[in-house]
Amino acid sequence: MTKAVILALTLLALPAGSLHAQAVPFDMSPERPASDSPNVTTPTEDQGKAPSNFQPVTVAPAAEAVEAVPFQRYVLPEGSLGLTGEFEDRLWSVYLTPQQAATGTKLNLGYQNSIFVAPETSRLTVEVNNTKIAEEAIRSPESISDLSLNLPKDLLKPGSNLIRLRSDQRHRTDCSVQSTYELWSNIDAEKTYLSFAGNDPLTMQSLDDIKAIGVDESGLTRFNFVVPALEQPGSTVPLMRLAQGLAVLADMPNQSFSFETNKVAPSGPGEMTVLVGTPAELSRLFPSLPDGAASAPVAGFVRDAKTGSPVLVITGPTWQGIRSAIESIVAPTDVAGPARRDVITTQRWRAPDAPFLFADTRLPFSQLGLKTEQFSGRRFRTDFTIGIPSDFYAAAYGEAVILLDAAYTDAVLPGSHIDVYVNDSIASTVPITSSGGGLLRHLPINVTMRHFRPGVNTIAIEAILETESDKVCAPGATGTDEPRFALFDTSEFQMPDFARVGQLPNLAATAGTGAPYNRSVDPVPLFIDRIDANTLSAAATFLGRLAAGAGHPLAVETVASPALIGNRSAIFIGSLSQMPPMAFTQMNISEASRNTWGPNTGAQAQGVDTQAAYDEWRDKLKGGLFSGQISALEGWLKQNFDITLTSLRFAPRSESSFMPSSEASLLMAQASSPDGTGTWTMVAAPTGKDLRDSMQALSGQANWSQLGGRLATYEGGTKTVQTVPVNSFQFIPTQAGSFSNYRLIAANWLSTNILSYAVLLAVLAVVLGLATATMLSNLGRRQ
Amino acid sequence: MRKASIILFWGIASLCVIALVTLPINLQTQLIASIAVVTFMAVLKILKAEGTWRLTALAFGTAIVMRYVYWRTTSTLPPVNQLENFIPGFLLYLAEMYSVMMLALSLFVVAMPLPSRPSRAASEGKYPSVDVYVPTYNEDSHLLANTLAAAKAMDYPADKVTVWLLDDGGTLQKRNSANLLESQTAKSRHQELQTLCNDLGVKYLTRDRNEHAKAGNLNNGMEHSQGELIAVFDADHAPARDFLRETVGYFEDDPKLFLVQTPHFFLNPDPVERNLRTFEKMPSENEMFYGIIQRGLDKWNASFFCGSAAVLRRQALDQTGGFSGVSITEDCETAIDLHASGWNSVYVDRPLIAGLQPATFASFIGQRSRWAQGMMQILRFKFPPLKRGLSIPQRLCYMSSTLFWLFPFPRTIFLFAPLCYLFFDLEIFTASGGEFLGYTLAYMLVNLMMQNYLYGSFRWPWISELYEYVQTVHLLPAVVSAIVNPRKPSFKVTAKDESVLVSRLSEISRPFFIIFAVLLLALLVTIYRVYTEPYKADVTLVVGGWNLLNLILAGCALGVVSERGELSATRRVKVTRQCEFGLGEHWYPATIDDVSVYGARINVYAKTIGSPAVDTRGLIRFTPHGRETAEILPVAVRNTQADGDIVTMGCQYLPEAARDHSLVADLIFANSQQWTEFQLSRRGNPGLLRGTLWFFGLAFYQTSRGLAYFFSKRGAGGKPRASAGAKK
Repeated sequence: MTKAVILALTLLALPAGSLHAQAVPFDMSPERPASDSPNVTTPTEDQGKAPSNFQPVTVAPAAEAVEAVPFQRYVLPEGSLGLTGEFEDRLWSVYLTPQQAATGTKLNLGYQNSIFVAPETSRLTVEVNNTKIAEEAIRSPESISDLSLNLPKDLLKPGSNLIRLRSDQRHRTDCSVQSTYELWSNIDAEKTYLSFAGNDPLTMQSLDDIKAIGVDESGLTRFNFVVPALEQPGSTVPLMRLAQGLAVLADMPNQSFSFETNKVAPSGPGEMTVLVGTPAELSRLFPSLPDGAASAPVAGFVRDAKTGSPVLVITGPTWQGIRSAIESIVAPTDVAGPARRDVITTQRWRAPDAPFLFADTRLPFSQLGLKTEQFSGRRFRTDFTIGIPSDFYAAAYGEAVILLDAAYTDAVLPGSHIDVYVNDSIASTVPITSSGGGLLRHLPINVTMRHFRPGVNTIAIEAILETESDKVCAPGATGTDEPRFALFDTSEFQMPDFARVGQLPNLAATAGTGAPYNRSVDPVPLFIDRIDANTLSAAATFLGRLAAGAGHPLAVETVASPALIGNRSAIFIGSLSQMPPMAFTQMNISEASRNTWGPNTGAQAQGVDTQAAYDEWRDKLKGGLFSGQISALEGWLKQNFDITLTSLRFAPRSESSFMPSSEASLLMAQASSPDGTGTWTMVAAPTGKDLRDSMQALSGQANWSQLGGRLATYEGGTKTVQTVPVNSFQFIPTQAGSFSNYRLIAANWLSTNILSYAVLLAVLAVVLGLATATMLSNLGRRQ
Repeated sequence: MRKASIILFWGIASLCVIALVTLPINLQTQLIASIAVVTFMAVLKILKAEGTWRLTALAFGTAIVMRYVYWRTTSTLPPVNQLENFIPGFLLYLAEMYSVMMLALSLFVVAMPLPSRPSRAASEGKYPSVDVYVPTYNEDSHLLANTLAAAKAMDYPADKVTVWLLDDGGTLQKRNSANLLESQTAKSRHQELQTLCNDLGVKYLTRDRNEHAKAGNLNNGMEHSQGELIAVFDADHAPARDFLRETVGYFEDDPKLFLVQTPHFFLNPDPVERNLRTFEKMPSENEMFYGIIQRGLDKWNASFFCGSAAVLRRQALDQTGGFSGVSITEDCETAIDLHASGWNSVYVDRPLIAGLQPATFASFIGQRSRWAQGMMQILRFKFPPLKRGLSIPQRLCYMSSTLFWLFPFPRTIFLFAPLCYLFFDLEIFTASGGEFLGYTLAYMLVNLMMQNYLYGSFRWPWISELYEYVQTVHLLPAVVSAIVNPRKPSFKVTAKDESVLVSRLSEISRPFFIIFAVLLLALLVTIYRVYTEPYKADVTLVVGGWNLLNLILAGCALGVVSERGELSATRRVKVTRQCEFGLGEHWYPATIDDVSVYGARINVYAKTIGSPAVDTRGLIRFTPHGRETAEILPVAVRNTQADGDIVTMGCQYLPEAARDHSLVADLIFANSQQWTEFQLSRRGNPGLLRGTLWFFGLAFYQTSRGLAYFFSKRGAGGKPRASAGAKK
């Protein structure tokens, strides 16, 4: 113990009585009985003891610090950020430790912009905690410029700090709407960071500081676990719990977990090394364990003597003790009972948090984080997010309403329009049809719920404004700052009551909020075919993602044999070849893929893509007059009413067997358990390495949000997600039965199975006709 | 019990349909459902499915209409904070909801109309005593002579029937009027009619004061007579011989029966029919009412008194104090009161009288104003939905009959609603093009098909709209004034003895031309805006299409108010009856081809007769119905046309004695069968498509005719002349 060690730890006899005692950074319970279940998070026998007996023990650092590069806290949550178009406003929060908040001095910002951006009229505004710290002309088309912005003292505070980037960009020469797509400023993640006075901010002290993990220069957040006893069966459950707890605490958009058994690598920004094991297991790797670890559970940050970076050490005399130590970190993230969340936390990558909408709700734009904006350009775009529950079942019929308060001057020509996008799909268009300006007061805009999905949804409002002066485009016209459009924050978003029933399978719900596992009271069986670093890394990343979506860790238990699962909801993670046959049947995956799926070795026969070939043949034969008319009609129907011949159906079609393509490196599938009562989700890859790497890639925000359908594959080569839509599914009731909900469910089902509605209507009309005939011939005069 | 369970079953079926149509399904589903329903209804129509299938088709239509109502209510109203859009938008919504409500009521009334009752003429029975009332106010004696003669000729034991002429034009009040012209006219009328009545064997009755108009006159008649039954004929409504035999028997069947109503059949076209020349080929306007609606009302024991051509029970009238006279439609009012006191009514679907319609457009409007105002008064003073004593079906039936007359309001709104958008750019109906197709177009198609299903052979497509439109222009102020001041409207007798000799514009035609000009302007604006504002061409086209429909109606109405001059005052009725024609000393075998109130055309078999000079006096000898011996009617030959051995002659009656009037009446009115045949001859359903094309063609022609009249300024504002002076 010659090296300086900072040890922030608290010895607690009370593991979880302090569920809300955030002030106490962690807790542990040395006296915990050995027989205690690993999944019990609140050992009752310990309750009632006062937490105040324990104080954080801080081992003061020695004077000599490890020589290192100055600590930079990268702030862009998702890597380099493009500010595009004429107007963009980004707001998110960065979690700082008290020490970081106290010593933060500068915000550095590196950016490069498109050559088309006119420097005289384009501005980049930076705000920290709602204080404007810079408003700069955008003038760096050649290379990345660095802005070094001083932060006023006391501006930063411990905890969440809001950072806003706002760009107003104008084209140098062109006044067309099209030209606005050429406008961008790229904020370089590597050059955009907070810098601090001194190196201390690197150090993590309390367990709360886990939230300050941040990102690396590409927007990734990584927890690197070093667990020598990784392959012991008993360690899996606590490790999974720890991973989930860390995922919920950090709640960063792109976080992943990896496991090692024998190497402590230095951790950079956005990384955290987590050591888990008994002192005996760890001492070989990490000499500077905290004192007392041999006798009591300990969880806390220790600075690694070799690398100088902080390491989260979780240790205890036995694995039982380690569990207690893990509980000290994870327990605060548990929720009591089926509590309903008001928001889905998204603030680490976009603030404010997305309000969770379960039923009829009206939210003014001001609550959704939008501000009243006056705009002088030609394409105005802004967006907000909302959270949709996993049992959302209104995509086919539902319509939300935006009650728009806006204004436009008489310069705006008819032919301009205001568009609404949901998750980047167009959902509504309001044409501006009157000249002479207009003041829109709560103009209702129906927004189809078609593109809504469980979890976080982004709704964008874009105004395309055409003016006479833009058509002429005299020199300097682009720079005029006379507002021609205004959007008021009194506008409202109104979500009506919508049908709520769970659907199985529905990967979007699982990805969005961790459903249905998030509601499970009993531990969810986790079938892992091999307990090795790769598989556990993938499992931890997957569960971490689910936990972050659900907002709390999910209780899991490992099962050694699929037979033990029965009909419960379960998660299967491993290589496809090791998956139980029952899973193949349930998920409708071709058994053959068990052996054939893998990297394309070239030995496989080149298959013909049936759909492509069919389309090609159809195009080739598109000469006939009659068939030409038919397909023209089909096209017209598709274009105008979104009716295709395949959408004309009575009932869901059955699923066809799936065979993963050789490009796919990860497969995620969902189906019901054999008797239909449980939900089985499978994550599989050809190899363990594929599993780990692809899961890490897939768990990134951009990919994860694309998950949906009954089956999804990730192609590592192209970095794309492919989904297989759900054809047949079963309902999982999530609400107490009510007539209004059944009615809405029926509306959605019938809107999906279009012909059924027509048939039902016909049948009922015939019944009514018969009833009327009978009634009329029995009432009144008859002859 | 059985009835209750049937109603329960129907209620459950209705609830299921309501639950299904109020689901917030998406547009695609609606579109497919609409196409399915429209196709299904079209197939049923093409197959001419009747009975249960007819009701099924109506149920299909109802489902689409209800979906439209649901959608219209939940998704299309402009936001309340845009008052400039919301107010007209809401008015339009109300107008549409009124139309839907009227559709629902008429569905209830005519879903399963009672089939025509079998003829009772042959059956023997008791012959209760009957008083026949012919109330008159200002009709001339010639018209009255025919009516009275026809009434006298009715086939009924002579000692059991008394015909009364109830003269309100020769009252003491009028004879003593300070107005010299009025008093002299009244005195001479009093004298003339008394003579006529004596000749015909009819009792003449007048009174002291003209109180309570027609109702007062009839009540005065009741005070002076004792017959068990009372038959009422308007002055121009001449009954057929079998009128009493077809009607009186029902009173014996049902002691609680107060009314047997029969249809009003008209020998001449109304101004619309006359000016559009549709009388011979298209069912008359009132045939929808008498052909199907009264039958529908009859099913629910709600057939009501229409002022004439009916038999009533004195005992029932005594109970409610005679004919009611609060409103100016005493007939319907009387019926409501009696229905409410538990009396029953029966409708006999067989024309048994023949009458005249007003010849000029202005008189036609005057007549309709009276009906509309009277119904408003009934709505106000009796309010059928809450009238105690009426059964629920009766309430609905009377609601349907009275609320119908509110049509000027929605019609006006439908007329001007598109202008809100075309001229002022107001958006009073928020819907996309796709929604318009899936909901509104489907609703309109279904609506047209349902109407065609219900009334197909009685009312051709778009004719209801035309009639409503031509009445609306002048009825709207009348209805408004009756609503605002319900005690003000007074009874005005409709002139039926006018004729139009010279083609001219009606004196009340100006508003029609103004409206037409405005709508035409709107059409031009539509075209202009489609080209200048391509970004909203779809909306402009839809609204412009609606306006175009209005313009077509308004154009057709120009033809309606452009009155054609016509020589023949009344229509001729085809009779084909054997007779002999006497000229000089010779009698030639002949047949009567057709007859009118003024003359007859006969085919004479005579090589030698040559071509008699105009106004040569001749004789027609024929055997009247119910007589053994032939009788002779003097005529004047007006024209002749020889075709081989057959000479066709147009003759004008020269009635000299009262008996001659009876002969004329026998020729025209004796045989009710011929009227039925005439009605059936023009009762055909052209179908929706053909009917629509026909109507558009008609409208195009009538527009050009109206404009031609307008620009040639043919006697605009000229007064019609009374036929008494004009026909000679």
